[in-house]
Amino acid sequence: MRKLFVILLLLIIAGGITLSLKEIPFGIPKTKIGDHFINKGVEETGSVNIVTSVVVGYRGFDTLGEITVLFAATIGLGAVIGTFRKNSVNREVEAASLIVYTGCRFLFPVILLVGTYIFIHGHLTPGGGFQGGAIIASAFLLMYLGCSNKRIKENLSKTVEMIGGLTFIAVGIIGLAIGQDFLFNFLPKGEPAELLSAGIIPIVYIAIGLKVGSELAGIIDNLIQKS
Amino acid sequence: MVNPVLLIVIPLGLAFVVPFFGFISKKIEKFIPFVALFFNLIVSLRLFPRVLEQPVHVSIGGFVPPFGINLVAGPIGILFTVLIALVGFLVSIYAFDYIKEKDQEKYHILYLLLLTGATGVVLTGDIFNLFVFFEILCISSYSLVAYFGDKTSIESAVKYLIQGALGSCLILMGIGLLYGQFGTLNMADLAGNIKSVHSVSIFVPLVLFITGFGVEAAIFPLNAWLPDAHSSAPSSISAVLSGIAIEVGLYAMIRVVFTLFGASSILTFLMLLGVITLLIGELCAFCQENIKRMLAYSSIGQIGLMLFALSIASSYGITGGLFQLVSHTLGKSLLFLAAGYMIYRSGSMNISSFEGMGKRMPYTALAFTIGAFSIVGLPPFIGFPGKLMIVKAALFEQEMLYTVLIFFILLATVIEGAYYFRVVQALYFKEEKNTQNQKREIAPLSILIPIFILTGFIVVIGIYPKLITDVLVSSASELLNRADYIKSVMP
Repeated sequence: MRKLFVILLLLIIAGGITLSLKEIPFGIPKTKIGDHFINKGVEETGSVNIVTSVVVGYRGFDTLGEITVLFAATIGLGAVIGTFRKNSVNREVEAASLIVYTGCRFLFPVILLVGTYIFIHGHLTPGGGFQGGAIIASAFLLMYLGCSNKRIKENLSKTVEMIGGLTFIAVGIIGLAIGQDFLFNFLPKGEPAELLSAGIIPIVYIAIGLKVGSELAGIIDNLIQKS
Repeated sequence: MVNPVLLIVIPLGLAFVVPFFGFISKKIEKFIPFVALFFNLIVSLRLFPRVLEQPVHVSIGGFVPPFGINLVAGPIGILFTVLIALVGFLVSIYAFDYIKEKDQEKYHILYLLLLTGATGVVLTGDIFNLFVFFEILCISSYSLVAYFGDKTSIESAVKYLIQGALGSCLILMGIGLLYGQFGTLNMADLAGNIKSVHSVSIFVPLVLFITGFGVEAAIFPLNAWLPDAHSSAPSSISAVLSGIAIEVGLYAMIRVVFTLFGASSILTFLMLLGVITLLIGELCAFCQENIKRMLAYSSIGQIGLMLFALSIASSYGITGGLFQLVSHTLGKSLLFLAAGYMIYRSGSMNISSFEGMGKRMPYTALAFTIGAFSIVGLPPFIGFPGKLMIVKAALFEQEMLYTVLIFFILLATVIEGAYYFRVVQALYFKEEKNTQNQKREIAPLSILIPIFILTGFIVVIGIYPKLITDVLVSSASELLNRADYIKSVMP
């Protein structure tokens, strides 16, 4: 009976969404703001990567909110998981095999470098702060798997995270002071497709990269230490 | 001129730097929410006179809407901002002495993020931005519910998490469907394109929005998480969840229904839902032995009453609903704060353990009594004008349906009176069972000050409701005048 009810409910929802989706034309670029972003994006923000011009330029405030969502999730996870610390039993940890151990020591700096490249070039090539941050966090995951005796210094990761968040907000407030608008692009936009172009966008993306990287690394740290 | 965006980014920035102050001294951390919310209170009060003349529009990043994100600080937005900052400020004082266990740094960060999220929801003019801030609000409340880390609080946080996440998914789907059809995310731009809600493609997103926001607002039948979550959270958090979080959920729902969709045809449905929520909440509250569960169920009932009043959709009805919202925010936070301290002293949430508290803790018990009387709607407290306005607004409509519904609302008020008086009776008219512990205990100042200030507001506004009615009338007209809202953002 209960299952029947659930299936019926799902069918109703699916039906409604299908009917609604039928109204949305497929493959026709009719969105007003989408066209504007594609045609004017480079000119208005200076970023040749249109996705970045939307994420950090037009909708930069959403991005500030999104890194805050991630921040809240990290802190929340820490608060909840931290309460189990006393109950956990010290399990015997088997040392990683030679291949993983060597691989992790060799790959760790390379992965960090790739992550940094991704977020520094966010306004030029596909990728950006979130992607670069996630790659950086994966380096730390590998380090935890391979060299199980190494740990992230908690204070250092907190500091990096804080610097990232503060830079974002400080850049926004400087924009407010100079250009009357929060996150106003107050730096010269430069030549498109140059590394030093697009004004504040690279600065904000580096800040996001640092913050996301340290947040995700913090999540991994929390889950590994206290599981 | 102060820019309303500072109301969001300054607390956010301060939340980011809490660990930095933690490096200097762990003792400073608890003052950060206090400072941030004091700032918000001052700034939002300074914005009030300007906003009453004309809503303040701010675009972000120098892009005009609909291409960039904009904030709309209208009367209703600033009214909520003031409420959030005021209650948040007082509760942050309460937390000085109340929060002593576990990881306090994380508590203060999450607390500040919760209120920042709430402020963002009420100020933004962009539907996706609203969703982002709504997520900040929800995620920080999930983790704060689990703050104590015992079995019950984890269980209720997980319940809340699952239902809340489902609700958020539905909202996101609704946003996606709207974006697909209209290619814009700005609320005013969307509202300008939505002419009627009768086609399926518009009605489905509306349903998704109402369901999604209904979870956070705890509208029946989406209220299952609330009694557990509000009762197992720390009392300071229960006060904020009950006084602010569910109201913000209701705000988002009403904003979407009135401004985004202009959906006057579903208001009767919402009204019925409101009355059912009211009756269920009050009946369940009546059966509770646990004081915090009782208060939590009472919040469900009050939300139902607000939903009913707002769905009358006359200027008078919405004013009454907002008045009820203000009175519930002040009254319920007071009740949770006072009850929280009595629970802290007696060590039990059972109503019977409160017997004789009137002698042991005279000030806290008096404040609890005033809060309870106000929620029930006795004059001269703030709850009375609110309920009176709602009843009058419904009777003005002169329809049979309203008269019947008013009968149920008054019935619910009687039930409400019965269970609140039971607690008051336990406080004052029952002798304490174990007589060893009879000495009077005066709460520390950090507990008493917020309780006194809230009591003061309840009494003063109860005697002079005119203090806030002007603001509420202009908030109501902002909600009702959809065309003006659209025109002011998209000229």
